[in-house]
Amino acid sequence: MTIHDTETGKEINVTIERASMADFKLIKKNKEFGFNWEECKNKEVYKLCIVNDEKIQGLMCVFDHTDQYTNAIEIELLELRKENIGHDKKLDRVAGCLIAYACRESIKRGHGGYVFLYPKTSLINHYQSKYGFSYLPFGPKEAGTLNVDGDISRELIKEYLQ
Amino acid sequence: MKSYKEIEKKYTPKEIAESFVFPHDLNKVQREQSLDNFRKWRKENEAKRTVEGKLKIQLLQLKFLMEDYIQQMDYKKDYNFSYFLKEYIIRLEKKNKDFAGEINVDPTELSQIINKHRAPNEKFIIRLEIHSNKNFPAIMWFKLIEKEKVFQLEHDTKLRTSENKHVKSRLAFSL
Repeated sequence: MTIHDTETGKEINVTIERASMADFKLIKKNKEFGFNWEECKNKEVYKLCIVNDEKIQGLMCVFDHTDQYTNAIEIELLELRKENIGHDKKLDRVAGCLIAYACRESIKRGHGGYVFLYPKTSLINHYQSKYGFSYLPFGPKEAGTLNVDGDISRELIKEYLQ
Repeated sequence: MKSYKEIEKKYTPKEIAESFVFPHDLNKVQREQSLDNFRKWRKENEAKRTVEGKLKIQLLQLKFLMEDYIQQMDYKKDYNFSYFLKEYIIRLEKKNKDFAGEINVDPTELSQIINKHRAPNEKFIIRLEIHSNKNFPAIMWFKLIEKEKVFQLEHDTKLRTSENKHVKSRLAFSL
């Protein structure tokens, strides 16, 4: 699993693991993330780090819908370290790796690769073109979901995790 | 806490989509209705999937379970080579006899391996790799066997006792 260093052009090996309680304290202290990740400390949160480096490059909070009808992983929150955002970001592919990891967990847990999230309206097209999500609109504004199924999950896993 | 409006001022929509997923702000009723909408889509989407597509996901699930188990430190008695081999055959919806024919092993040999009366040899795991079109590399099967052997070796006090008398001289210090 690799991300891309935009300065050197090199591919860098990374790991994705559950965030620990100690991680949440560090996240709060270092202020490299804008969201209040402390609120997620009792949820399922994953961190992406460069191998042998403790610095967290990206975070993702997921919810595992185990009921037989939803039967999917929901990405509730995702945020990259400040220096990895924007046109002069230091590292690329961080969010892609995290989303692909959610897809992998969905397959591994028997959800068939189904993953969804709730997008802001202005971002729908970008999630679609970047990651292959399909938009499922629903009545009130921003109640629609962006979804991937097993086929798209496999593609994302091949692209970002292999 | 950062708000979407503040983020919007700083970055383009493309940059935001490549860096964030935001929490929804639906109320309980909207949320449940939205989930119902997803469930309906999921059911319709799943009904359209091909047999091959479903098989690929089943096999990928097995592969990910194997990979993660191999990586883990702890040993699970039930997660052994024969369990994963059985699962591979079940997911392919094959009878043991037919699968044995496909990899040219005696059905009795396959049965002995599945029932843990016989250890698989290198030829066997290479044939598994070939049969899976390299989707399940031999090294993965080998690491499963190895993990089991490590556990057995670490816990074999009987063997240590019996071999102790064969060692005539030993180092006098611990490193």
